[in-house]
Amino acid sequence: MTIDLNKFGTTLVSRPAGKEAWLAYQPVLKEAPQNEKIIVDFSGVVVLTPSWADEFLTPLREKFRERVELINTDNPSIKATLEILNENR
Amino acid sequence: MQNRLLSISEAARLLGVSIDTLRRWDTSGRLTSIRSGPRGHRFYKQSDIERFLQEIEAMARDWAESVNPVKPNPDVYCQTRDVFQARLETLQSKLSKIMSIETVSLIVAVAGEIGNNSFDHNLGNWPDIPGIFFSYAIRNRKVVLVDRGQGILTTLKRVRPELTNSRDAMKVAFTETISGRYPESRGNGLKFVKSIIVKNPLSLYFQTGNAQLYLKKKDDQLDIQQAATAIKGCFAVISFEELS
Repeated sequence: MTIDLNKFGTTLVSRPAGKEAWLAYQPVLKEAPQNEKIIVDFSGVVVLTPSWADEFLTPLREKFRERVELINTDNPSIKATLEILNENR
Repeated sequence: MQNRLLSISEAARLLGVSIDTLRRWDTSGRLTSIRSGPRGHRFYKQSDIERFLQEIEAMARDWAESVNPVKPNPDVYCQTRDVFQARLETLQSKLSKIMSIETVSLIVAVAGEIGNNSFDHNLGNWPDIPGIFFSYAIRNRKVVLVDRGQGILTTLKRVRPELTNSRDAMKVAFTETISGRYPESRGNGLKFVKSIIVKNPLSLYFQTGNAQLYLKKKDDQLDIQQAATAIKGCFAVISFEELS
């Protein structure tokens, strides 16, 4: 399955917004077929910060581990956020 | 050139505000126009606009240092995070008209992280006025964010009781993954800000308590100095003169 992050907005910066996105998406994640990849598509996202990502991407990776694949991560704030998050993994 | 007259739409573009806001400021006397032409259109002296742009930072500092503070002007005051998010998106859209999306992404991420930090660490604990002062001057390529919160030392002391001064607290916040929101384990906000500033033609002035920091591209060390006047919360100015 693919998660289009831009459906949560183009400016993903705050912790509460990230947490809310994570909670709101639970019903969809529950239906994800076993062993299918969880593709996170960042296209269309203009701004991402570690605060938002910590509340959404971190628990997603904890839950699905190697099944999570990130695509279209070329935007500079997305790159910088992922670098910081990866340092702490 | 200094006293060239600008139309209201030119002035609005330089200041990064709407024409309606300028009309309101004119009525309230905050920034007065010159009425000219048969229909009394508003014009602005270029020197007035330049001076007004300089004042944003001074206004922010006054508010940060004020002993008997009042709520800032509604145009620059974000009492809640929702207001901040909406205005941050407005800034993003204005910057997008004059800069590449890559540049906008970095500036808005830094401003978003600093502004949201203020709310994250002071929710329910604001010492006097809740929320932040958030203003920008696109022409001067500056974004100013101020809170009258508890400051980094008070926040981090909860998880690092050995911290005794703002200077050390600021260093920890900018270099380590730590959160004052125990038992939450994460806290990368200012470390993230630093990682962006040192790799891009952006600069940051940051003050908390009596400690101040200038950070710019290629800085590998944090040069934290003693500030002339201490403040309670955090005061940040992001500059992006060299970006386009």
